[in-house]
Formats: sequence, structure tokens, C-alpha cells
Amino acid sequence: MILSKLDAAIYPFTSLAAKIVEELEANLGIDSILSSDSEILHRSIERIREAIYSRITSVYKKDLDVEILSHPVALLLIKAINNTKLFNLYAEAEKNRVFFNMVNEEVDKILFLAIDGFKWHLKKDGDNILLRFDEYLRASISILDPYWKLVNRKLRGGYVEVTKRDLCRLIAEAYRERIIEKVNKRDEIYVPDRIKPIIEELNKEIEAVLPKVEVTASISISEYNPSAFPPCILKLLEEANEGKNLPHMARFTLATFLISVGKRPEEIIDIFRKLPDFDENKTMYHLRHVAGEIGSRIRYIPPSCATLRTFNLCPSGDELCLKVKHPLTYYSHKLRLMRKMRHEKRAKQ
Amino acid sequence: MKKELSNEDYVKRMFKSYYLKWRGEPPKEYDRREYAFMLSKKGDMIRHKSFEDWDEMKEFLAKNAPLHAFYSSAYYLQPSAPDMDAKEWIGADLIFDIDVDHIYTPCKENHDKWLCLECGFNGKGMAPEACPSCSSKRIESKTWFCEKCIDIAKEEAIKLVEDFLINDFGFSPTEIEIVFSGRRGFHIHVENDVVKELDQRARREIVDYIKGIGLTLQEKKKRKLLVPPLNAYGWSGRIAKGVYEILNFHEPQKIAEILDFKKTSKIENIVRQILSGLEEAKDYWVLEGEARRIWLKAAEKAIVNKRCEIDERVTTDIKRLIRLPETLHGGTGLIVLKMRTKDLEEFDPYKHAVAFKKGEIKVKIIEMPKITFLDEEWGPYKDEVVEVPLGLAMYLICSDNAVINIEEG
Repeated sequence: MILSKLDAAIYPFTSLAAKIVEELEANLGIDSILSSDSEILHRSIERIREAIYSRITSVYKKDLDVEILSHPVALLLIKAINNTKLFNLYAEAEKNRVFFNMVNEEVDKILFLAIDGFKWHLKKDGDNILLRFDEYLRASISILDPYWKLVNRKLRGGYVEVTKRDLCRLIAEAYRERIIEKVNKRDEIYVPDRIKPIIEELNKEIEAVLPKVEVTASISISEYNPSAFPPCILKLLEEANEGKNLPHMARFTLATFLISVGKRPEEIIDIFRKLPDFDENKTMYHLRHVAGEIGSRIRYIPPSCATLRTFNLCPSGDELCLKVKHPLTYYSHKLRLMRKMRHEKRAKQ
Repeated sequence: MKKELSNEDYVKRMFKSYYLKWRGEPPKEYDRREYAFMLSKKGDMIRHKSFEDWDEMKEFLAKNAPLHAFYSSAYYLQPSAPDMDAKEWIGADLIFDIDVDHIYTPCKENHDKWLCLECGFNGKGMAPEACPSCSSKRIESKTWFCEKCIDIAKEEAIKLVEDFLINDFGFSPTEIEIVFSGRRGFHIHVENDVVKELDQRARREIVDYIKGIGLTLQEKKKRKLLVPPLNAYGWSGRIAKGVYEILNFHEPQKIAEILDFKKTSKIENIVRQILSGLEEAKDYWVLEGEARRIWLKAAEKAIVNKRCEIDERVTTDIKRLIRLPETLHGGTGLIVLKMRTKDLEEFDPYKHAVAFKKGEIKVKIIEMPKITFLDEEWGPYKDEVVEVPLGLAMYLICSDNAVINIEEG
């Protein structure tokens, strides 16, 4: 089977992608690839941003050379930024890219990709695909769902029966592992001085969004009452309802806020339905991800007021806004105030 | 002047005579392994030994006559490095331990005893994990490996090798080595490049597979149950066969009792429905209602019958020390005997694993139940001096059940 350049762009683990990267690096030279006005550098940064906000990286088809090189350059930037959460997030987003593209491929092509990229031992038995058990174990070991546990699989003669979709998932997982191995490798990386400000800036953005993931456990709000929502969230809800094309950060804020106040992904997916690029499967995937139902199993919370201001998502709120630093704190204070007012009203009656 | 010969001196002398003629085969890539020895009962373990040349091993054994000899299931770049990290792990064989100590056998009520070293509480049968009186874990037990125990251990080993390792995991019989542990069980070694680099998590999955841990019998909240055909692969088929055996073997009333099913009037029809369903099905088929409940209950029993009782700690440990085949077990004087799969069925430890086959000797036996040794029945004995075959005497002395009864001039 012959892979196209587009295949190499979509699937960075193929031998063709590796070959093209090698050739381009030799022809262009690292300095031109990393020059501050380089299209490749810009696409790499975009690819990292997509990973942070969308949990999946897109395929930029206008210039395949740029797309192919943007992956190794993104890895270089990630190594320079050196943030474990970012490693995992990028690897996860790349995994999703591979999975969602691969499920639409023909079986034979998927088999080819697995053998080409990972040297797996695969067999076809009628409609069944068989994968050698040690390779199955390595690729499936981080998936917690009982469906993937070896004991629940059909194992015979050292081979595990898998469906086409299973195989796509396993390849995507193996690809994720490979990225994590690569960024964890302690080798010297060359970062030219002129792109250091770019890394700096990216780092700041990541710091603003990512550290929020660990404090979730301390916040638990069970009451759901939209009239206590802070002005920023109300504004975002309104804009979503109007079908505006909201930026990554806005969607992230809205989704994490609603999940933090007790909504489940399937209850809030409708809010995003009017967005111009709405895709039910992808949106559901992202929502379940930030809700901690899948992937890293971490429930994300919305960014702080300061971050929202930086990203122009703070509509300069009301009096209560002046007393809080986080939209969720606003919400719990407002709930308490409203409860108090209700009590007082009842007392007067 | 006459001097009393101690048990330990006697054992050492006999072991030495065995090791002078020792011709044990080296394990695969023997120079990449770590070796460990215990020279005496109370002494420390000598660890981090390695041998560049197998003749050095023979010399070491002949010179030191260790009570116990071990080698690492792991392969290392620096097998003799004293620090585990400095050894640089390359891979490890996949090993399984089937030990009657961890398997319930009814005959233990007759021949096993245990004593809590903390409070003195004691009992017959399988030793508990912790003392039921004071919950101390310092428990000493006196155990025997009777014919029934041997049969149970063999059955488990055959199940492991044939059903799981060959059928499901696809290993070839030439990659599988069965070794009598020297006491109450078997070690099964798989030396194969596919498994060599598997990490602990992957090995844990293999253990769970063999022990049937984490099996999902049905999807949650589903009323209808998809039942596998008898020839399905993996655990699906294993459960179908197990259920068939249970339902086909017993009378309906007995099945109702085993499965704790109250509606005894209905059981006969349900059993017939499931049995004929299994006999005819070529693909997955559907069960609902009471039949579904019976299936699920029978499937739970089938899993217990079909799973294999291996010690998960041994298999998941990728730096395990395990007995070196063909050496002697210091607690029994028996040979840690390597055998082929086809020899397992006929194997008798008190015949094939006996190192000292010739001669008789008088020993003072403290206590022993009746056992068959070298095809002859011996015992039971209690506090008496008896002339027994040398191999049996060694067995009793090594296991602290007898003392040597000769004087040396």
C-alpha cells in the first residue's frame, strides 16, 4: 500500500511522515523552520493551542509540508516549555486526532498503518482482526474500561480478537505513549533565542489555564440556579445562543463552569448546538473530557477572573464581582445571598 | 572419642555428596542472571552472585552444598551489582507458582496443623492468614504433601499449561518448563521473547486472565443476556463449557440447591432450555428472565471451576528469585525437578524427585502421617526409632520431623 502525503500529515507515526520530516529539515534548515515569521512555527503553536482548548488537533490541509513539520516542532516547543500537564494534554489531543481520522479509513489501510508505524503482528481471520497479545496489552493497559481488560477479550493462540474500531483506538493509544516517551527523553534540545519570547508567552497562557485542574475537589456546589450565575457566564450563554463563533477559551470557560455547578455533559451539549462549527460527537467528547469522565479523569474548573480578564472574557461585572476572584466563588456567594433574602422575605410575611 | 552427629551436619554432608555429581542444565542466558544461596538454616542469604561459566556454578555447589539455591527470573546487564537499580534489568521470564499452601484441599484437615507463635492458639487444616484469636500473622504450620494434594497441584498445573498457556496464549510446549518446587507445588517458566519485556502491569493482566479476575458477565442494566456458544474463544467459551458441565452433571433438584434457586418447580425446564440452547448454538444467543438468572449464577460457579489458582505475587514480580532447577530443597531434601509437559501426569514427587534412592537408615521420628515413598507405604509414626529409606529419612530430617540417630566415631 502506498500512503499519500495527506496520510503522512494526518498520521505522524508513519514511516512516510518520518521520511518527509527528515527531508524537509535537511532542505530548509532548522533556522528557517524556527524563524519567528515561519509558517511552520505558527502552525505548531496553533497545534499546541488546539490541544489545550479542544482536546484534539486539527489537520491543516492547505500546506501539507507545514502540517507535517508542525508536529516535531510542537514537540520541541513542548519540551522547551517543560510542563508535565502539557505533555499529557498534547499527547491526548494527538491521540484523538489519529483516532477520529482513522475510524473512517478502510480496514486494510488501518492494518497497514499499524504495521508500518508500530511493527505490530496482525492477522485477518475472515472479518476478524487479530493482534498479538503482548502488543495488545501494551497499547490497552492505560485504558480503564473493563471492555479492554484481557480477561474480557477473545484470546486464542496468542492473538486477541479486535474490531476495526478497537484497532483504531489501540493505534491511537500507542501513538500517545510514543509521544510521552519522546518528550520524557532527556536529550538536549536546541531553541534559538529569538523564539524564546514565543515560548515564554505560550507558557504564560498554559499556566493560566492548566493549573486550575487540581483544585477541583475542594469545590462542590450542588444547587443549580442560573439566576445566580456571574455576568461573564451569562454573557457567554447569550453569545452561544446567538450562534456566535466563540473562541477556545470561551467554550472552555462555559463548559467547565456548567459542569462545576453540577450539570452533566449530556445536559449542556444543546448550549453549543448553535455554534457555527458544531459537531455533536466532538463536542460531546470534549465535554466528557473536561468533566473528567474520560481521558485524564480530572474534572476541570473554569479559569479565574484574572485569566478571564486577560482573554477579554470579563464583561466588567457587578458589585459582587469586585469581592471575588473566581466565577465559582461569585456563584456560591450569590446563592447564599439569594437564600438569605428569601428567608428575610418569609420572615417578614 | 564419640561425637554426636547433628542433623545439620548430616544434611550438609549428604547434600555435598549430591552436588559432587551434579549435572544441572543452565537456564537460558545463565550469565545474565542473578543467583542466590542459603548455606545454612539460620544464615543469611548470599545474593548478587553471577556465573560467567557454568562449570563455576558446579564448583560452587560442590564446595558449599547450599540448603537452598535460587536464580533470578530476570535478565540483567550487571547481574552481580549489589544494588537492584545498578543491575540494569533487560527482561524476565514469565513465571507461575502453583502452591498447595495457597489452595484449599479437604485433606489438609487430616495432615496439616498450625500454631500461633504469639498466643499459642492452634488448629488443624489450612493455616489462616492471621490468628483467629489474637490476629497475629506469626503462624507456624506443619504441612504434608499427600497424594490428594499432589493430584490437585498437578490438575492446576495441567490446566494452566494446556488450557491457558498453550491454547489461549499460544506458547509452544518447548517454551514452557515445568518444575516441581521441591515441596508442595510447581513452578512454570515461560522463556520466550514475546513475554520477556512485559512490565508488571501487563503481567498483572495475564494473572487476572488466568484467575478470571474482572470478568464482566453482562452489560449493566441489560435485561437480555447474550450467551456465548460452547466453541467461543477465551473466557466466553470457557464459561459456556463450565455452565454446561454443571447443568449436565447434576440432577435438577441438586442444581437448584447448588445455585440457591428457590423456585424448584421451574428448574427442570430452565436447565433443559439452557442445555439444548448450548448444544445447538453456533453463535451468541439470548437468555431472559429466570433462565438468565440461572445462567449468571451457574457462570459464577463455572468461573471458580475453570480458573487457575496461581500465586499472583510471583508472576507480577519481574525481579523474582526462584529455585534453580535440579538443586535440592533444604526443607525436604527433594530435587527441584524439571520435567516435560507430558511427564507431569505420571509425576510422583516421592519417587521421581528423590535424590537419595539407595540405602536405609535409622532415625528418630517425631511425627509423620502415612505416606507412600518410593512406591512403599510408611507410617504413621510418632516418637519412635525406625529404619526407613535414606530419601525418606532426609525428607523427615530436613522438615524437622526426625532426628538423626547415629553416632560417629
